Amino acid sequence: MWKYSVASLQPINSLKRINMKTGINTRIAYTYMVSKVKSTLVAALGVTFGIGMFIFMNSLITGTNDYSEKTMLSATPHIRLYNDNRVSNNDMLNRYAGHRTLNLISNPQLVPQDNRIINPDAVAAKLRKRKEVVALSKQVTANIIYNKGNVQENGTIFGVNIAEQDKMFDITSNMIAGKTQSIADNPNNILIGIGLSHKLNLKMGDYVRITTSTGLTRTLQVSGIFKTTIKNVDETKTYVSLPVVQQLLQKDRAYITDIYVNVKNYNLATEIGNSMAQQTGFTSESWQQSNEQSLAGKKIRDIIANSVIFTILLVAGFGIYNILNMVIYEKIKEIAILKATGFQGSDVVSIFIQQALLIGFVGSAMGLVVGWLVSYLLSKLYLGLGNVTYLPMTFLPKHYIQGAVFGLLTSFFAGYIPARKASKVDPVEIIRG
Amino acid sequence: MSIALKADKISKYFYTPEKFKVLSEVSFEVQQGEFVSVIGKSGSGKSTMLYILSTMDTDYTGSLVLNDQPITGSSVNRLAAFRNEHLGFVFQFHYLLPDFTCLQNVMIPALRLNRISAAEIEHNAYEKLKTLGLGDQALKTASRISGGQQQRVAIARALINEPAIIMGDEPTGNLDSRNTAVVFDIFKQLAAEHNKTIITVTHDNDFAAKSDRIIEMKDGVIISHDRKPHEL
Repeated sequence: MWKYSVASLQPINSLKRINMKTGINTRIAYTYMVSKVKSTLVAALGVTFGIGMFIFMNSLITGTNDYSEKTMLSATPHIRLYNDNRVSNNDMLNRYAGHRTLNLISNPQLVPQDNRIINPDAVAAKLRKRKEVVALSKQVTANIIYNKGNVQENGTIFGVNIAEQDKMFDITSNMIAGKTQSIADNPNNILIGIGLSHKLNLKMGDYVRITTSTGLTRTLQVSGIFKTTIKNVDETKTYVSLPVVQQLLQKDRAYITDIYVNVKNYNLATEIGNSMAQQTGFTSESWQQSNEQSLAGKKIRDIIANSVIFTILLVAGFGIYNILNMVIYEKIKEIAILKATGFQGSDVVSIFIQQALLIGFVGSAMGLVVGWLVSYLLSKLYLGLGNVTYLPMTFLPKHYIQGAVFGLLTSFFAGYIPARKASKVDPVEIIRG
Repeated sequence: MSIALKADKISKYFYTPEKFKVLSEVSFEVQQGEFVSVIGKSGSGKSTMLYILSTMDTDYTGSLVLNDQPITGSSVNRLAAFRNEHLGFVFQFHYLLPDFTCLQNVMIPALRLNRISAAEIEHNAYEKLKTLGLGDQALKTASRISGGQQQRVAIARALINEPAIIMGDEPTGNLDSRNTAVVFDIFKQLAAEHNKTIITVTHDNDFAAKSDRIIEMKDGVIISHDRKPHEL
């Protein structure tokens, strides 16, 4: 409650400078709130929990999405360009039969091709010229069988230029033993995943025999072990230098099956990939296209979080609605006398909207603190599943601003309905009793 | 002398529980500076008429002019602004805002009018309270003073915007005889010395007898415009 004596007029004067008419409405709103401090706090707490939850949920969801995106992108390039098998077309038929007849192939089949990128260096040079490309790596992959003793495991061997590949996937940071550079230094070296190392009991310096589908074999020495924490990658993927795989497949030194490209804005990978496919004539696949199920998971998480938040805010809104209804019921005679002495309907609306906003403001402010606190404490929660050590959490100013805005909006709408009701009070009816 | 109030053929119906003509073509005038009492039995329509004159009740036929301004047909917001500036009300119950001090209660209509600075309003409000003998109660919460004092604060509130017309609905109905006399003297003085027009509805014949003029109503019509006090 503001107390002042006739001698000290500062509080009024400072209010007056803002706007005296708003001033009196604000002061009435404020006094009403303070006279019911307990119920005001309860209503504000509703908003606090709503906003706190909003911030926590959003921080967690964004953290989880960031985490799963990072995981996806640690194994998938933004864009993969490759030469797909094509359905046979009329070109050859037209050349042979000419255009005198209408040439149709009644049951077109996929034509198995040599799935190579033709003239890969020229294609790579062309792609590198694009501004959005930040990393590019040529690959030859082959499905093979790993042997140690009598134990066999299936997998895929990647022939890569390890410097390019490392720039793209940061393999170095996943290495638990050895160096990535070792496969470039020695063509007999191989990098294996931790999963394969356990399955075949392979340690650094051990030899592993690999067999291709055509029966060719080669023995390589383990010079590094990586751990991506994606089980499937760690158990099947291995890296060697490009020529090793080219030899295994009995191909020439220009044989490249895939070009991996990373771009600046990976959210645009699909569009950029399509444009690259048009430019080069090969097929493109973006990380979104190869991870559709994970993106569906992200959407579902968003929907769950939003419904929870919406429910909480709705409940908070009802809390505000309730308290204002109560205040209006109690103060109905005062509203009547205010109207009798010349307050308009809009003044009454203003008084109660300001009360609602005051509740919303206090509630939101506390909500920001609670939201941050809950997020901070739970970001210390140890999970230890896969490579998720702690609960993934983000601390983005965006979420806090959105939280405050939602809190005030909820309060406004929750306050508007009772405020309208109060503005329609007929003073005659109330005063005459 | 100019005319402060002119009512012309004012009629009003109540619709619940059944249609009933509560006022029937009531016409009268009040001069500026006059102290008029309206008397009549319960149900005579005197309160209903007062609330029409107060501009708060707009559901009537006929026409009303206050302070040379036509009132009938104005928008609700314009009427609120008019009441704020030109009318003061004193009711049977004080209707002070209990969470505010007496001084703040008096200031509120003036802060709403927003014509002079808050400091001047505060000064004026304090002067009004002093004149009514409440200088030492100014900073007390309105719920913590006696009934007679509350009614005087309500009068101070009615006066804060220097309205031309003051309307009272049984302003002494809830007061003992000593406080009734105090309120009467205040009204008398306002009319005589400050040229305010005062129209009060009252049950109290002694109170009415001492006013300038008595309007007596019965069954929704005025039966006497100028009943002599000694006839009561």
